[in-house]
Amino acid sequence: MSNENITQEEIMAIYPKVAEMIADALGCDVENVKPDASLINDLGAESIDFLDIIFRLERGFKVKIPRGKIVEQARGALSEAEFESGGVISEAGAARLRVFLSEVPADRFKTPLKSAEIPKLFTTETFCKLVLRQQRAAAEAPPAA
Amino acid sequence: MNQRKRIAITGVGMVTPAGNDAPTTWANLQAGRSGLGTIRHFDASGFPVRIGAEIKNFDAAAVINNPKLLKHATRPHRFALAAAEEALTDAGIRPTANDGHRWGFCVGAGMMAMDFSELQAAQKVSAPDGEFHADKLLSDDFPADPVAFSRNQTNSGLALLTRHFGIRGYATAVHTACASGGQALGTALKVLRRGQADYVLAGGFDSMLNPTGLSAFCLLGALSTDNDAPEQASRPFDATRNGFVLGEGAGFLVLENWEAARARGAKIYAEFAGDGNSLSCYRITDSPPNGDGPIQAMRQALADAGMTPDLLDYVNAHGTSTMMNDRSECAALRAVLGDHVGHVAVSSTKSCMGHLISAAGAVEAAVCALAIRDGIAPVNANYHTPDPDCNVNIVRGQSKRMRIRAALSNSLGFGGSNSCLIFRNPEEVQ
Repeated sequence: MSNENITQEEIMAIYPKVAEMIADALGCDVENVKPDASLINDLGAESIDFLDIIFRLERGFKVKIPRGKIVEQARGALSEAEFESGGVISEAGAARLRVFLSEVPADRFKTPLKSAEIPKLFTTETFCKLVLRQQRAAAEAPPAA
Repeated sequence: MNQRKRIAITGVGMVTPAGNDAPTTWANLQAGRSGLGTIRHFDASGFPVRIGAEIKNFDAAAVINNPKLLKHATRPHRFALAAAEEALTDAGIRPTANDGHRWGFCVGAGMMAMDFSELQAAQKVSAPDGEFHADKLLSDDFPADPVAFSRNQTNSGLALLTRHFGIRGYATAVHTACASGGQALGTALKVLRRGQADYVLAGGFDSMLNPTGLSAFCLLGALSTDNDAPEQASRPFDATRNGFVLGEGAGFLVLENWEAARARGAKIYAEFAGDGNSLSCYRITDSPPNGDGPIQAMRQALADAGMTPDLLDYVNAHGTSTMMNDRSECAALRAVLGDHVGHVAVSSTKSCMGHLISAAGAVEAAVCALAIRDGIAPVNANYHTPDPDCNVNIVRGQSKRMRIRAALSNSLGFGGSNSCLIFRNPEEVQ
């Protein structure tokens, strides 16, 4: 459930492959896909590109990533109402996001933060962590019947 | 009738089996050099027809430096991007942030949207035992590509090109099978005359050269089976013809108001003078033996251009090289041209570049523009044995140097859609 014990070594181990997939999806040079690059602000991603990136990660890492998983995981134990209201993230929600998206430089979190702007925070590392979490979840889950 | 706005053709671009740009295509058509061959880009060895008119050695990235755009582009979209880029460069004008809303876009869009490999992958996962299981289609076993859907819509090419070139005005994607390209141009003509746009980038693109497209035409028995002699397989109007050769490609033209084109000192290939559009209301895949349908389209186009048939010097025929089409089209030409029929040079450039389906009408319009500019009626290649039922004046043996006052181009589609376009030599415009 928690991601705080994901190590930098684990992230960097899959980073080259994730970066390559993101570069392919966005049609940019892989050198530009830095670990802390914002996919939207720095690399020009649009919404369909996120679907494409998830698809490529699923195929490349043989994991299943339900759509909307990042925000759902970010919310953690908070209910939707506790997390946001009227499209604006609550203080508790913002605090939770800062921990969950620990890879995102602190100055990128605006106050107040609109929920529609959360995807602007996502970096290459965010997707590395997403893959690692899904890999762990799959390993911990009882084998499918 | 009111005085109509005159519309000029000021740019052409082509990616065809005869060449990856307009000058190469035009040179090869004039020389009668065939772009037909054994299909290479997928394994067609198991098909009764193994020949096609493929685009060869084409690299979209060399023309369009935008990898992200190309990610969303299918094979025929890539041809379209390159041909449109060539047409705009040729015209010496392109949409800007200030006038993008005065640019229109009309395109004959490809008949086959979904890539065969995508269909195959979906089938493999959702029907492992031959029966379709809906629950398996989006199951964990099959990471389905979400971008495929947006890439495969009939308007995807339109969306891609208008975004890339910054066209924000009237835009439409036309699909009327083999008449698509012609009818897209006809639509563009009306849009310009009505003043809904000042410029239109108009054309067509297609590629059915894939296992689904090829097998469909094989089942209909519409294709030439001359696998051992691909370069001679497309022989429109020849008595021994036995079907068309499936091709792919794109063609685009830049159209604009005549006076504005003159004012900016643009080179004008031709006046786009008339458009005719009709339905045969006959049968799905048969052509009316008496030319009914095409006759009305041609007469409409002449009336639209304010012309009598005796002013025509060249016809770029639909001329697919099927028994039925060529007879029907010749019957129509005889009916429309009357006593003048023997004076009009007729050729089908499909003899060299195959049938480009939704792109055909646009590519052949570009060919007419170049024919008028250079005073050359391109040869109808592979024409050796006259068919008494195709008794028109075919350009035989080699291309014919002749002044062309006006040219007519036919595109006759499955389902009975007919398009006829007329182009006038700029010197004939007072």
